[in-house]
Amino acid sequence: MNLNAVIIDDEFNAREEMEYLLNQTGSINVLKKCSNALEGIKAINSLHPDVIFLDIQLPAINGFDMLSMIEESVLPRVVFVTAYDEFALEAFENDAIDYLLKPVDKIRLEKTIEKVNNSIQQNTVQKLNLPQITKIPSVGTNKVKLIDVDCIEYVHSDETGVFMVCIDKKYFTEITLKVLESKTKLFRCHKQYLINPDKIDEILFDDNSAGKIKTISQHLIPISRHYLKELKEELGI
Amino acid sequence: MDILINLLKEIAVFLVIAYLFSKTPVFKLLLTKDFKFTDYLTLYVLFSAMAIIGTYFGIPVDGAIANNRIIGAAIAGLIGGPVLGFSVGLTAGIHRYFIGGFTAVSCGLSTTLEGLLSGLVHQYFFNKRKPERVFDPDVAFLTTLVAEILQMIIIIAVSRPIEEAVTLVKLIALPMIISNSLGTALIMSLFRDQRYNYDKIGSIYSKQALRIANRILGELGKGLNRNSAEKMANILLEETSVAAVAITDRENILAFVGVGKDHHIPGFPIASDITKDSIKENRIIFINGTDEYYHCPISENCLLSSVLVVPMRLKDEVIGTIKLYGQKNKSFFKINETLGKGIAEIVANQLLASRYEYQKNLLTKAELNLLQAQINPHFLFNAINTIIAINRRNPNKAIELLIHLSNFFRKILKRNEDLSTIKEELDHVNSYLEIEKVRLQDQLKIQTDIDSNLLGIKIPTFTLQPLVENAIKHGISKLLGNGQIDIRVFRNNGNIQIEIEDNAGAFNEIKDKPDIGIRIVDKRIKNLVGDDYGLRIHCEPDTKTTATILLPSGGVK
Repeated sequence: MNLNAVIIDDEFNAREEMEYLLNQTGSINVLKKCSNALEGIKAINSLHPDVIFLDIQLPAINGFDMLSMIEESVLPRVVFVTAYDEFALEAFENDAIDYLLKPVDKIRLEKTIEKVNNSIQQNTVQKLNLPQITKIPSVGTNKVKLIDVDCIEYVHSDETGVFMVCIDKKYFTEITLKVLESKTKLFRCHKQYLINPDKIDEILFDDNSAGKIKTISQHLIPISRHYLKELKEELGI
Repeated sequence: MDILINLLKEIAVFLVIAYLFSKTPVFKLLLTKDFKFTDYLTLYVLFSAMAIIGTYFGIPVDGAIANNRIIGAAIAGLIGGPVLGFSVGLTAGIHRYFIGGFTAVSCGLSTTLEGLLSGLVHQYFFNKRKPERVFDPDVAFLTTLVAEILQMIIIIAVSRPIEEAVTLVKLIALPMIISNSLGTALIMSLFRDQRYNYDKIGSIYSKQALRIANRILGELGKGLNRNSAEKMANILLEETSVAAVAITDRENILAFVGVGKDHHIPGFPIASDITKDSIKENRIIFINGTDEYYHCPISENCLLSSVLVVPMRLKDEVIGTIKLYGQKNKSFFKINETLGKGIAEIVANQLLASRYEYQKNLLTKAELNLLQAQINPHFLFNAINTIIAINRRNPNKAIELLIHLSNFFRKILKRNEDLSTIKEELDHVNSYLEIEKVRLQDQLKIQTDIDSNLLGIKIPTFTLQPLVENAIKHGISKLLGNGQIDIRVFRNNGNIQIEIEDNAGAFNEIKDKPDIGIRIVDKRIKNLVGDDYGLRIHCEPDTKTTATILLPSGGVK
């Protein structure tokens, strides 16, 4: 069975070369080639590839940070690709399936694919020890803004997407609440809300043992009963 | 006649005392040109004692004393001036007065006046700017001659009954005038010879210092480090024949050679408080081993008992000390403070002189580092990867890129010129950019605006390429959108200005520690043409980062 792959590399020629080599093996379908982390996140979330060939040095958000922004359930097998192996050690600590050095040798690549196949067949869990997210990308019409987690008051999601709310602005992001909950200090207080514990001004309880959080800029965030206990524990009240 | 012979005998005794005195450290006082108050005090006590002894050695003659009192007062006056001469004369005079006799008043008075007279002679030569003449035995002879004649006149004028005075003068005048004039002259001659000896020793010291300086210069080529310090310490030990020599920087012992090296170990922190004080207070400290003992802070069995600690200064900063040690029960005088101080000054001067050499060496080393920094492995492997990819579609383009890559590395590996023209530098940048443009595609656009009149201007080799690389590494490569680098070379108020600007505005001086290549760009320019010129990097976040090189109108030479 052929594997579905996504290539993420900021250099056009490097992507072309990787695609060429993967096609040569005859056992890989390249679903998409992405030039940065944002495209990568989008492609992974929508295409659910079996494996990604990921360049570590990417603009704005590097390969490791990109992986932090993907839900574990959809995280494909990861093969790092780099021109110079100063990152190799880090990649192994992250327990990637394998890493490749550019220019990539055909025979070496076949071994990598074998490893990926084995991993999928044996259903081994990829233990990726990924960094916390400190900056969350928000894609605008013609630019990408990186929002510092520290300035976010809360995050909420609705049918149109996920939004991060800062003091005076609201930013859209591709990153899911679930990822943000596990990879940042933001805390779940409602099915559709994450709160930044540093931005809480007041907690207001109502009769049916739920309540509301007032943020420092006076936004009111609902607390659902389901998360109240954990929230209290988290805040030590 | 008996009186004369007896007085001459006394003078012989005086000469012996004077000779012995000239061998004591106190004698060195007479070598100094400017006496301090305490020096005056010492000399006062010394010469007063000499004058009083002169009275006691005297020969009683008819109720008076034929004596050599004058010698102490005369020498005091000649050497120390009117105040000292007067003080000694007065003291000896008062002493004489209390011994009594019919010449008590006249002798007391005359001794005071004689001291003053000698002092005036000193003043006279001093005013004539011939202070050395006071040590002239002829001057001493004449001064005492006149002073003694004066004394005789005073005796006759003051002492009563006058007949006795006249009789006395007839008896003592000639012996005293002759013996005292001769005595003063002889003692002065002895002093002069001893001074001369000291000067000669001084000049031997100077020669020695010069030889040390020459030998040390060779060792200080790379500045003060443990290696050079040890060589220096050995030279000092050989040349000065002290017991041991240590050289320290501000914190640690850099070298220790000689007696006690078993427990004074280079590399260890400075243990002695004297040395710490010397560094802190920028002061020479001398523990002479006679009045004060040096106590080794490390070992009780240390044989060293005296030490001279001299701080080494570079500009206004104490950079370390030189320590010369003497051994227990051995004289330290051989090496005096002055020589030690001189040596430290020489070392500091040599250090200063060697700094230029050192900086040049440092640059060569830095340039080697730069060379390594130039061969950025990311660049190399990415370039090769790009060329492989291009080769599949367009072999001719791949060949072109390989030639650019060769040119780029050839220039780096050749690296035989310190300076290049702006044109050569731009060519080098171009080889680099041709590859980067293919690698980064749309992400990298280059715009140049170059005053072609300036292409022949010389700048340090590898000035531009590191800046362009920096603009890509810490600029363009962080951009998700299109990047642009502007390269401008133009005249600004007569100076030459080169600007490399990227549109990322992502450079953060603290976070993106500039590569060694970048830091050297600035350092080399400053070293060559001064601190007014060099590199400045300014970042307007998210807008642009501009690296500006400012050079004098003719570039660097």
